[in-house]
Amino acid sequence: MPELLDAAIQRPNFVTFILLLLAGLYICVSHPNLIKKLIGLYLVQNSVIFYFVTISAKEGATVPVLLDPSRPVQAEAFVNPLPHVLTLTAIVVQVATLGVSLGIVSAINKRFGSFDEEAILEKLQ
Amino acid sequence: MTESLPALVFLVPLAAAVSMPVVGHWKRSACRPLTAAAAVAMTLLAIASLCSVVAFGPVRYAVGGWQAPLGIEWVADEVSATMAAIASLVGLLVLGFSGPLGEASLAGRTVPYHTTVLLLLAGVVGVIYAGDLFNIFVFLEVVSLASYALVAVPGGRALLSAFRYLMIGALATAFYLLGVAYFYALTGTLNIADLAQRLPGLLESKAAAGGIAFILIGLAIKMALLPVHAWLPDAYAHAPNSAAPLLAALVTKTAILVWARILLWGIIPANAGAEQILYAVVSGLGIVASVGGALLAIRQTEIKRIFAYGGIAHVGLVMVGLGQSSTKATAGALYYLVNDAVMQAGLFIFAGVAAWRYGVRAIDDIAGAQIRNPWVIAPLVIAAVGMVGIPPTGGFVGKWNILLGTMEAGNPFAAGALVLTSLLTLGYFAPVLERIFRSQQASRTGELRGALGWPVRLSMAVPAGLVLGLGIFGDGLMSAFLRVVGGP
Repeated sequence: MPELLDAAIQRPNFVTFILLLLAGLYICVSHPNLIKKLIGLYLVQNSVIFYFVTISAKEGATVPVLLDPSRPVQAEAFVNPLPHVLTLTAIVVQVATLGVSLGIVSAINKRFGSFDEEAILEKLQ
Repeated sequence: MTESLPALVFLVPLAAAVSMPVVGHWKRSACRPLTAAAAVAMTLLAIASLCSVVAFGPVRYAVGGWQAPLGIEWVADEVSATMAAIASLVGLLVLGFSGPLGEASLAGRTVPYHTTVLLLLAGVVGVIYAGDLFNIFVFLEVVSLASYALVAVPGGRALLSAFRYLMIGALATAFYLLGVAYFYALTGTLNIADLAQRLPGLLESKAAAGGIAFILIGLAIKMALLPVHAWLPDAYAHAPNSAAPLLAALVTKTAILVWARILLWGIIPANAGAEQILYAVVSGLGIVASVGGALLAIRQTEIKRIFAYGGIAHVGLVMVGLGQSSTKATAGALYYLVNDAVMQAGLFIFAGVAAWRYGVRAIDDIAGAQIRNPWVIAPLVIAAVGMVGIPPTGGFVGKWNILLGTMEAGNPFAAGALVLTSLLTLGYFAPVLERIFRSQQASRTGELRGALGWPVRLSMAVPAGLVLGLGIFGDGLMSAFLRVVGGP
């Protein structure tokens, strides 16, 4: 147990990632309000992106642009661009998901006049 | 030329989908012909791709000219080429059947419907061919977004089902992405074939176990494996008749194909003694899902829900096959997957026709409806025979190979679950068929709507023909699948 705690304190980013993920999941499950559920979903997705950013960060490194092709390339001086591009793509995909989900929620609100899941279920009965 | 075929199969529906809003703005009636033309072109290209793969061997297409493992790779082997051909064909069949059903089931949303159907097909083809973990994520999301939109089309109750489907589906893709991130942090690669090269020695680490677990959870939700299946029956029961066959035939099946790809091409070749546990987990999950799904299907009274739970049971069967150490079982599982896509399409097309023409939604409605048309009954009987797994259908070939594989792997529980599920399958098809045949004597109380034109008849007959064809002429394809998974 002390080793686990020690490991956690040394990795604040991972602790943050786990907290974000769990908070998002909890909001998804516990709130009856559809918009709040979406916020929870957004937190979960963002926690995954936060994890991606964490594993791709590199201290003392710079953007991977080759300024002088005549000199030999020093790989350790540059950040690996791939995980950053993945993060960017994942954000774009999230935005698309958010767009579709807000569209569906707005249609639900137009049809049932409520954002509350329990109220909507009552109307469906 | 032949190595660009997979890309072309993908680009045709994508280009048609992008141009659809413009075409629809110009002339609404042009939407259906354009979609049909795109689907025909896509099907022909997919079949050409399958022929070239069978004749000249698998194709590895480097997207944008960047070679793997740095670039994105698309793999067209016998399995993915067959699946892509089946997916395009199902798209074509659904279009043939959605026209006569009319604009009524679409609530006037002609342009968005055709656009999303084409996007769904493009995404499905992308998932099937992609050999790169992140690329699979992107295409999974394309497929999912299109299917949420399709479920929501009728409005009303369907909106809430679509919202729940979206919540669960989006969480599933987030979990899948997290698993991919674990693997990337561990190995520094996203290419599945490259993963198999780099994983040995790393497979015992906690990161690898976490990656496998998160990918499995994410994909299990997407494929509606039993404990996490709750989104599926509602979504499929409320989806419009003209979209349900597409969703049932393609969406869950592509998720299983992804899992099969990652398992068989990425993780198992890198074995380090951990694969026995993995086999046991996959096989155990499959046993629970197949028996549980079939038991739930028997309790249903609504036709679409019976078929939906039947689909869940069959997902479990495929997982049982994938969880055996024998190549015969894995090849059989992949073959069964292809068959299952065809059978689900046929069943949901039947459910759509029954609801539209005869007004039949629950099995109790059948008595008064008097379904007499042989074009409607014969395909249902053939699909049912295929689902149960009686020769000479493709379902039998798949199940038989899975069964032989479970024996080979010495796994009597899996074999028992397979047989039990087949018997239970008979249990939920019998009431439907029995009521249809008994109602022939009674008089019709309901009214018939519309006419069964040739497009509808063909879209019912072709899946039935395929189920029989895959059974009678399936040996060549089955041995090709065996070759792909590395068997004799």
